[in-house]
Amino acid sequence: MTAKASSASIGLAAGWLALGYALSPWRAWALLFAVIGLLWYVGRRRGWNWVGSICLVSLVGGAAVGLVLGAAAGWMLLGTVAALSAWDLDHFARRLTSVKRVEGERELEREHLRRLLFVAGLGLLLASPPLLVTIDLNFGVAVLLGLLAVLGLSHVIAFLRRESD
Amino acid sequence: MRRLLLLGGLIYGLILVSLTMRSGELLALAIPLVVYLGAGLLYEPQEPQLTVARSLSTDRVSPGTPVTVKLSITNEGPSLECVLLEDLLPSELDLVEGESRVLTPLARGAVVELAYTVSGLRGSYHFSDAQVTASDRFGLFRRRVIISAPGRLLVLPRVLKLQRIPIRPRRTRVYSGLIPARQGGAGVEFFEVRAYQPGDPMRWINWRANARHPGAFFANAFEQERVADVGLILDVRRRSNVWSSGDSLFEHAVEATAALAESFLNDGNRVGLLMYGGFVDWTFPGYGKVQRERILQALARAELGDSLVFDKLEHLPTRLFPAHSQLVLISPLFEDDVQMLVRLRARGYQLLVISPDPVDFEAKRLRRKPSVELAARIARLERGLLIRWLWQAGIRVLDWQVDAPFDQVAHASLGRVPLWYRAVGVSP
Repeated sequence: MTAKASSASIGLAAGWLALGYALSPWRAWALLFAVIGLLWYVGRRRGWNWVGSICLVSLVGGAAVGLVLGAAAGWMLLGTVAALSAWDLDHFARRLTSVKRVEGERELEREHLRRLLFVAGLGLLLASPPLLVTIDLNFGVAVLLGLLAVLGLSHVIAFLRRESD
Repeated sequence: MRRLLLLGGLIYGLILVSLTMRSGELLALAIPLVVYLGAGLLYEPQEPQLTVARSLSTDRVSPGTPVTVKLSITNEGPSLECVLLEDLLPSELDLVEGESRVLTPLARGAVVELAYTVSGLRGSYHFSDAQVTASDRFGLFRRRVIISAPGRLLVLPRVLKLQRIPIRPRRTRVYSGLIPARQGGAGVEFFEVRAYQPGDPMRWINWRANARHPGAFFANAFEQERVADVGLILDVRRRSNVWSSGDSLFEHAVEATAALAESFLNDGNRVGLLMYGGFVDWTFPGYGKVQRERILQALARAELGDSLVFDKLEHLPTRLFPAHSQLVLISPLFEDDVQMLVRLRARGYQLLVISPDPVDFEAKRLRRKPSVELAARIARLERGLLIRWLWQAGIRVLDWQVDAPFDQVAHASLGRVPLWYRAVGVSP
């Protein structure tokens, strides 16, 4: 179930980003996302553990570049969420296959997919308004907000790293 | 952790680029990633509070026998969404059946059982810890704890049944046994003719001697048979071992020691074991089944060792062995051992050397080439000379090609004491 969902997510991520580019003046770039999707799929089948992270960065980076180049923001956002889901499912599938005995495997998979769907849906929901509503901020306020966000995030990550150690 | 860093890096990157570009859309791309990170943080696992109980189907087995290990893990803390339980096996043991790892959700109070079967070669194996890794469903945050779950498995060496090995130490103990004691008295073998003493049984009277010497009365005396002190010395110096094609000469030596210990103990003797190599491992002499168990456990633990002090036999702690007792050395032998063995013989110890042949062992496992054959021939000549020196010093040597089973070789070579050796064995 997880493997199928992971494959579907890879297809959706690459497809939505490629579609977004295909509908923009930068059509030729759509092919690149198809190649990335294919690489991810093949890498997963062959057990290349590194391929998931590289492809996630490539697809999210591609989505960001697409937004800068003027591609439709909706497709880019959908592509990002699908790439994130594929990355998560890829990792989860590897965790399941790395252990020969998994207690309540179906239940684990179901719960995982349920939470991932909720998180992806919530992410989409929260990310949609900024795409639709535009608020003009002057540069100073933007920098201040950005700095606050970066500082806050770095504190959270530092705290989490300490806790995990 | 790498996943967390990657995710954090992506979020950082998107926020910085969106700030630089003053683009709300770019910032929006970071939101699903932040939500994902937040969900991981929200369900971050707490410190696992588990208790682990280990049980083994048996704690002492012979090599290759499967042993079932059961691990019962109880969650006494909060529920854990995803837990990887892993029993850390000694690397030398082979997993025959089942799994030593399990991935499972663990609710409060839930119990998970891990059962698997292992087998291994001779050795003493210690199970120490179980590793528990709890994580959130997304695998972003992990907590790893090591829980102590001790257990010990002894894989004892194989014990071959030997026929009685005749030994003639100069001194025996007071209890009756099977070793000729060089003293007249009650026994089986004729020992001497002596003057009749009141109380001697009629059948002991030597009528022929009485007929030759009228006026005197003679009786036969028989050789008393008693138990003796036997000291087994196993050579565990690293240089005494030869590894070839996954087989070890040392393992053969250990099996021979186990067989000898069993045989001497069965004859009622007091047997001690000294393992000489990296350090001196001494099993105090004793009798019977308890001593058998002690010696087998010591042999299960036996490991090769290096030591500058114990590199040569000259530091053999002879005071551990009673004077004039029987010593049995199990060693492939080196040229520099001869001097010490001759010295032991001179001190009155009765020596028997069981020498697994390292030359034959290695030569049979090497590819047949003229250079190998020439080297083996030279090494055989040297070894033959070494063994002859020992024989000349009155030391019995069993030159054992380990391809032949030890019980057969021991029976053929040690089953009877040569007449000349009996003469050498008599105290001056």
